[in-house]
Amino acid sequence: MSWYLYLALRQLFPAGKRFPFITLVSVAGVMLGVAVLIIVLGVMNGFGEEIRRKVVDTQGHLRVESGQILYRYQEVIAELEQRPEVVAAVPYAAGMVMVQHANRPAFPLVQGIDPAAEQGVMPLDDFLIYGRPEDLDDDSVFLSVFLARSLGVIPGGEVEIYSPLLLERLRQDEILLPRSVRVAGLFETGWHQIDENTVITTLRLMQDLYGLGDGVHGIKVRLRDRDDPDTVVAALNRELEPPLRAISWLDANRDFLFILQLEKNVLFFLLLFIVLVSAFAITSSLLITVVRKTREIGLLGALGARPWQVGQCFCLQGLFIGICGTSLGFAFGFLALHFRNDIIQTFARLTQSEAALVRFYQFSVLPAETDPRDLFLIAAASLVISTLAGLIPAWRAARLDPTEALRSE
Amino acid sequence: MSKNGVVLRAEGLKKRFPSGDRVLEVLQGVDLELRAGESLSIRGESGCGKTTLLHLIAGLEPRDEGRLFWRDQAVETWSRSRLAGERARFIGMIFQAFYLIPEIDARANVLLAARMLGRPKADDRERVEGLLKRVGLEERGHHLPARLSGGERQRVAIARALLNRPAVILADEPTGNLDETTGDAILDLLLELCGEEGASLVLVTHNPLHARRTDRRAVLAHGGLHFD
Ligand SMILES: Nc1ncnc2c1ncn2[C@@H]1O[C@H](COP(=O)(O)OP(=O)(O)OP(=O)(O)O)[C@@H](O)[C@H]1O
Ligand SMILES: [Mg+2]
Repeated sequence: MSWYLYLALRQLFPAGKRFPFITLVSVAGVMLGVAVLIIVLGVMNGFGEEIRRKVVDTQGHLRVESGQILYRYQEVIAELEQRPEVVAAVPYAAGMVMVQHANRPAFPLVQGIDPAAEQGVMPLDDFLIYGRPEDLDDDSVFLSVFLARSLGVIPGGEVEIYSPLLLERLRQDEILLPRSVRVAGLFETGWHQIDENTVITTLRLMQDLYGLGDGVHGIKVRLRDRDDPDTVVAALNRELEPPLRAISWLDANRDFLFILQLEKNVLFFLLLFIVLVSAFAITSSLLITVVRKTREIGLLGALGARPWQVGQCFCLQGLFIGICGTSLGFAFGFLALHFRNDIIQTFARLTQSEAALVRFYQFSVLPAETDPRDLFLIAAASLVISTLAGLIPAWRAARLDPTEALRSE
Repeated sequence: MSKNGVVLRAEGLKKRFPSGDRVLEVLQGVDLELRAGESLSIRGESGCGKTTLLHLIAGLEPRDEGRLFWRDQAVETWSRSRLAGERARFIGMIFQAFYLIPEIDARANVLLAARMLGRPKADDRERVEGLLKRVGLEERGHHLPARLSGGERQRVAIARALLNRPAVILADEPTGNLDETTGDAILDLLLELCGEEGASLVLVTHNPLHARRTDRRAVLAHGGLHFD
């Protein structure tokens, strides 16, 4: 071990003495910054992952559509299902309708599905909080919970559906009566956007409402989890004959995902400031040490130390503080993530806000997922910053003239 | 070792310091020859340039004029880095204020001199123990400097200065911070050890009794060395 490495370690952790307070403060600063970064980014990723799962569960990994009504969808489905990466492909028709119950209107989105096949893409079983998938027939619908609540309808009740087709027919002086259907079940996906305002009908009913005949709007496809939707989409787009084309859920939700990523990046940079501030603590504490140890630095020169070695001794102290702070931060961060739900529940219990948490944030358990890339970035950033923090004191120490240092009182 | 045993030679050393708008001519041509194993004391009024001369000899401070030879080798031909490495081997320094590193124990302070030259070997560690024993601190090696008395600290500093078997020991008022009895004991030890190790000694002191104990004596005055 070179003497400057040895001395750097010994100055941070002197033999026989208690851990020096000034080192402790610097290490604690880095630790806090790193821990908070790990926790916050972990939870952000958790939410992102949760949303991704919800999107895939409701929309599939990708959809195939032609921009027009698709009549020969059975053929396309058969073709798609031959691909090894396709787990399931199901037809859908989607649109907007007006639903009325006891004079209360709502304008939900409709998803027309094939109840038998749909399970392959959307785990309807899991989403239904009232009713079973096989309860859905051409004279009934499933309503999302919040829609049912705002309409004031309960399962077994009747709602009337007005489709855009009604207006079209009206123009041709025909009068079509609204379709009266039974509420066969309620569902909740956990994704607010959908739970707020969605109706699920059979494909047949949707075809009637929209006048699609035998056609559908497109096909939702679920892939194996390990497949990358973007590559499959690219492959499909090479093989499918226009106007058929594949769109991945990533593309369909590009804006939304972009915002999510942006939020994460912004948070990363904001929280990095905690590490930056602790870097200032490192710099100032090491600068104080350089001044305090001026005569010893002079002595090192008299013993034959080269200026760059003296500098190294202080730069390494910054690095060690970084290493200690970062590893403790990792330990602390992972610990906090591991016990996150206990922490939140304790907090909620103490502030009696458990109900509010569930109501407003729609979670009672906090998702979290650590991304190795984030972890690497956090560790690298904090180590680089702490080492840089040691650079100014190191430079000061290296520049000290040994004779002046030895003379100093 | 060079011919006729001269280990250190200085010719016409000059050093000026700017002092306000005047220039302070501290050393105005110092000539010095030191043979192997020889001891030399330097006295002089405060501020006459004794410390400056030692720093110049140690190559810590650049000379304005003059030449300096360590074992016949001209120091001015070396790079700064080479000079630092040679200094670690050729010169051991002892100071009035001891200058031990407070975070490491006495043993580690002595060994630090060997660390400057690379990884300390088993030999070095053995020699540290031997030197600690020789300066009477074999039981105190694990103590931090703060737990040692002034005299004990100076003993550690002497062991450190001798560790790399330097040819020359430069001692700048080594007893200046010590009481008379302790100071006398330290001087005895220093002279004995330099004799045993065969190291030459340049001793800067204000104490005439101490100055009398060296082989040669000089006074630094008016920028020059005057030998008795
Ligand atoms: N870097 C410097 N700049 C200006 N003047 C200096 C510098 N270093 C030393 N001096 C001056 O040079 C003179 C000699 O200083 P030096 O320390 O060598 O004296 P000394 O003989 O060791 O004194 P003492 O016995 O008090 O230790 C002093 O007047 C001092 O003020
Ligand atoms: Mg002096």
